[in-house]
Amino acid sequence: MYSHDILVIGAGLSGLRIAIEVAKDVDVAILSKVHPLRSHSVAAQGGMNASLGEQDSWEAHAFDTVKGSDYLADQDAVEVMARGAPRAVIENEQWGTAFSRTDDGKIAQRPFGGAMFPRTCYAADRTGHNLLHTTFEQASRLGVTFYHEWFLTSLVQSEGKACGVTAIDIATGEIHGIKAKAVVLATGGFGRVYGYSTNALINTGDGAAVALRAGVPLKDMEFVQFHPTTLYPSGILITEGARGEGGYLLNTQGERFMVEYAPKQMELAPRDIVARAIQTEINQGRGFEDSYVHLDLTHLGREKIMERLPGIRDISMFFAGVDPIVSPIPVRPGQHYSMGGIHCDKDGITSLSGLYAVGETACMSVHGANRLGGNSLLETLVFGRLVGQKVKEYVSRDPDVNSCGVEQAAFEMRERLQAILLRESGESPAEIRAQLGEIMDNEVGVFRDQETLESALKAIRFLKERSEKIALARSDTRFNYSLIRALELENTLDLAEVITMTALMRRESRGAHWRTDYPERDDESFLKHSLVTLGDDYLKTEYIDVNLGMFEVKERTY
Amino acid sequence: MLLRIARSREGARITHYDLYKVDLSRGLTVLDAIFQIQDNMDESLSFRYSCRGAVCGTCAMLIDKVPRLACRTQVATVKDSKVDMREPFAAITDIPAGWDSDNEILIEPLPNLPILKDLVVDMTAFYDALETMKLWAEPPGSEEPRLQSPEERERIDRYVNCIMCALCYGSCPVNNSKTEYVGPAALAKAYRFYQDSRINERDRFLTSAKAPTGAPLCELIMNCVRVCPKGVAPGGAIRKIKNL
Repeated sequence: MYSHDILVIGAGLSGLRIAIEVAKDVDVAILSKVHPLRSHSVAAQGGMNASLGEQDSWEAHAFDTVKGSDYLADQDAVEVMARGAPRAVIENEQWGTAFSRTDDGKIAQRPFGGAMFPRTCYAADRTGHNLLHTTFEQASRLGVTFYHEWFLTSLVQSEGKACGVTAIDIATGEIHGIKAKAVVLATGGFGRVYGYSTNALINTGDGAAVALRAGVPLKDMEFVQFHPTTLYPSGILITEGARGEGGYLLNTQGERFMVEYAPKQMELAPRDIVARAIQTEINQGRGFEDSYVHLDLTHLGREKIMERLPGIRDISMFFAGVDPIVSPIPVRPGQHYSMGGIHCDKDGITSLSGLYAVGETACMSVHGANRLGGNSLLETLVFGRLVGQKVKEYVSRDPDVNSCGVEQAAFEMRERLQAILLRESGESPAEIRAQLGEIMDNEVGVFRDQETLESALKAIRFLKERSEKIALARSDTRFNYSLIRALELENTLDLAEVITMTALMRRESRGAHWRTDYPERDDESFLKHSLVTLGDDYLKTEYIDVNLGMFEVKERTY
Repeated sequence: MLLRIARSREGARITHYDLYKVDLSRGLTVLDAIFQIQDNMDESLSFRYSCRGAVCGTCAMLIDKVPRLACRTQVATVKDSKVDMREPFAAITDIPAGWDSDNEILIEPLPNLPILKDLVVDMTAFYDALETMKLWAEPPGSEEPRLQSPEERERIDRYVNCIMCALCYGSCPVNNSKTEYVGPAALAKAYRFYQDSRINERDRFLTSAKAPTGAPLCELIMNCVRVCPKGVAPGGAIRKIKNL
């Protein structure tokens, strides 16, 4: 029988940072479906925001974040993040992260979208990679226990408290119960609800879906960030840092079209605005092959590109056959980040006692309706530490989990999965996955309206019905990735339904959620977070207040 | 395009090869191709994956007898990209019966690590070296960020770019014959810490790298440099370690 004080699900930056915070005092383990170094944090490119500059301040960082969020972020949580940012950067520097440097040896900072100061610390264009490897090194130094390549299948609760999980050991195919006094969900985003996404293929929102099924509400799920510049046609991320370093966006007329959309900030307007601008150019016939625009770096010169954006050059050459030193990069918007997630407060506390959430899978909310670039790496490290402290306090009160039925839950999960594996014919998960991706890309994308959202919701519900009858042709137990991917598909379907429902209900345009039929922001009705809770067989929706207080809600222009 | 894929249901050794035909589309990578197979032809095919953008280092495998990342290898051009593997060992030289090397891409598990199933190998030995060599910094515990000049940072840049994909480990004839050898990636990482101007106890990384299971076993064959997808060139670091 597996048992720990704290069980963390997910070994990206959030999960690792939690474990580091508690490892000396309690028995902590991290369960992850991939080896920690393969977590999606590794793919973050541009950087991490912190008000290190003498002219800068945490208040300015907080203001930019709140304005960027279209005033939907909870300002108390934003304050915690902005205040904690310098400490988080310095801590990782001390651990060994090789931040890029200024000539006088200080941590270099670059301009990023929606920020009024060059506030983004970076390690070339491989910031996530550097931070993840460094943070993993520190978790290894502290001897954190890992369940490598285990897949979360359910959350177990008893007497109103989270008390463990069930999970598949992918190597053996065995399903186990793991008991814990507290469970932390740090499973990252759910970009793979969409077909065209910058996200790793593993980003299927397992934690959020499992929480939903356990009766824990999800918040602000309609707010999906579309990154303006993803490499056409693969969808791989091209960092905002490319524009931060001076890159231009050009249409087929050779125009820097951002002048029409954000005359002051131009290419460095926040992501929602730049993504809509690019999509509008493409929709109105000023895109190349009706599919993409150009991100031109050629004027930056070889030296700057090689020093600051070497990874981007590599990616462009290998995945699109373009060398940005001599030719513009083909880019289009694509799903990038999930602002919504598991409803929790700034301490990571969810509605279920003993269950915590942190990082992209959580919604505290620090990003509101639109996240600023450089704030997601920051969120993982600031709140990983703080939520770690809260969880530690919780388990120090020794919550009673003796009656926790993890073995029974594992038995039931075994039966359920056995039934799938024994089904000889049925629906193809690959077909359902492909259709879901198309629906979300085409009907729940950058521009939305009632009619298409209604059609999407209907189609998603039909796919959900079909997914109950999926069959896998072969029933190997060891390393059955077809089974894992089928379970991930169930997770993405559940989340797709919630995203689409909340998008339909929010009859306004705010941040990344743009309704062509309701193009104005409507603070009176919708300066609120949406919450969705799974009832017996229906999804209950409600709205709750935003924590304001520090900054006045204003019109948002750039 | 045809793909000939090594299979091993129970692990330990390749039992047979299956031949599949995939639809070639613009930009199709080997990783895309094997997903096509798992999705539409054979759901039992096992392989690891994550980012599909050559940053996570998960999908290392032997493609046309060269260790490569599946996500970074284009199906259309793989036949044109030859890598000269020096002092090849059995996994590289053994040609499976029936392989039409002009028309079929051959896909096998990464060599030098035990096969668990199909293209999934046991990475334990590779990861364990990071722990046994204690390849992490001891935090100094101050409140201030340290200074590091761009030139000092440049000295470690090449090595911090390592994504721990283990292609070097799978290409190395020494790793093939000596299971105790920690391999090129771990040594490059040790050198990264040794060269980091911010590290106080840098000598311990050198000592660790020069241990009998480390740099002394390297024969400077340099396959690691040839297959590295990130320009880390571990062999260069190992040469420097040997000379220190």
